[in-house]
Amino acid sequence: MKMEKQQSREDLIAALTEDLTPVERVKPAQGAWLIAFAAVVASVCCIAIFEFWTGMFTGEASAFYWITNALLLVLGAASTSGLVASALPRVGARGNAPYWSAAMLGMAPLTAIISVFFLEMNHDHTSGLPSVLNDPLTWYWECGLYGSIAGSVVALAAVLYLRRGAPVSLERSGWLTGLAAGSLGALAYNLTCPLDTVAHVGIWHTVPVLVWAVIGRLAVPRLIRW
Amino acid sequence: MTAAQDGDKASANVLLSEVGMWLERYFRRRVPPHQIDDLVQEVLIGFYTKRSTWDPSRPFLPWLAAIARYRWVDHLRKVYKHDSKELMEDDAVEDSEEEVVMARVSLDRLLGQLPEKQAHVIEMVKISGLSIREAAEKTGQSESLVKVNIHRGLKKLATMVEEVE
Repeated sequence: MKMEKQQSREDLIAALTEDLTPVERVKPAQGAWLIAFAAVVASVCCIAIFEFWTGMFTGEASAFYWITNALLLVLGAASTSGLVASALPRVGARGNAPYWSAAMLGMAPLTAIISVFFLEMNHDHTSGLPSVLNDPLTWYWECGLYGSIAGSVVALAAVLYLRRGAPVSLERSGWLTGLAAGSLGALAYNLTCPLDTVAHVGIWHTVPVLVWAVIGRLAVPRLIRW
Repeated sequence: MTAAQDGDKASANVLLSEVGMWLERYFRRRVPPHQIDDLVQEVLIGFYTKRSTWDPSRPFLPWLAAIARYRWVDHLRKVYKHDSKELMEDDAVEDSEEEVVMARVSLDRLLGQLPEKQAHVIEMVKISGLSIREAAEKTGQSESLVKVNIHRGLKKLATMVEEVE
């Protein structure tokens, strides 16, 4: 029941007391499990649609593919941890681990761009071989789209949990929702993607994080305001 | 609070009354006197609807202070949106001189950490009570720039206060 302000504080206290019922406490662990479950659901859906890439276990996958996915996992864990903590009101210093993790992941697209630049510069265009910029794998942007769509499952779980809680720093909760949704959504889709070049993985396997960070910052605060 | 979470009405009644008094003291130096009761009632409703978010293994007052601060900032935003001229004008009217001086010293210290342009316009508009136009004329900044500088400065101040808390 939605409680309204009363003529006097005493009336309000009487009304609140009258309606009091036992409540189940909101626990951060519930939020973490809910988000982990959403990430698993997103992964299962991606695997059902696109099929699991077995190349990961046959030694085909490049080191860069593994490192990027590991960084996505670290970012997903750090942002989920910050997000579930942000659902409970508290004062004091807050950890910056999710932002540092995001900065670490940011090295992947940076490396990809630097790598593409030097590969292109040193490419022998008379050889007849396609340069990295002419390689269709470099421009296969659909991975970014599918990863972002998978992230919506995680974002939904995060928003549901935050609405149950009482976040007092809406912008921070918005950023963290975006980082968690982007990283775990991208990871869910990446399990199915056999394209593992530096340029492709560095850009299209990480772009959902950027997409969701922006969506999270802009859209989530108004969804979780209380 | 644990008893209130478990549905004990008598405990909840005592707690709500105590919380109401604590909030009144909390808001006394933060909002004009005529807005205190409204704000206290808003926080009491927030406290009641979000009582499931208190973790018994953590201290109670920081949790309550976080909710009070959230509602206060929300209230300031509404006031600021509707009338950017009347913010915190009536503060400290009933305070002792020592408290006023201490508040001023803390404020100066915080303002000292802001870029000069932001600190200057916040001083003029939010403390001295000048209008945006007057501040724009005095500083040579455009009116929109004054608004932007106030907005950014206040945001930075809020972050600093949060870090200190």
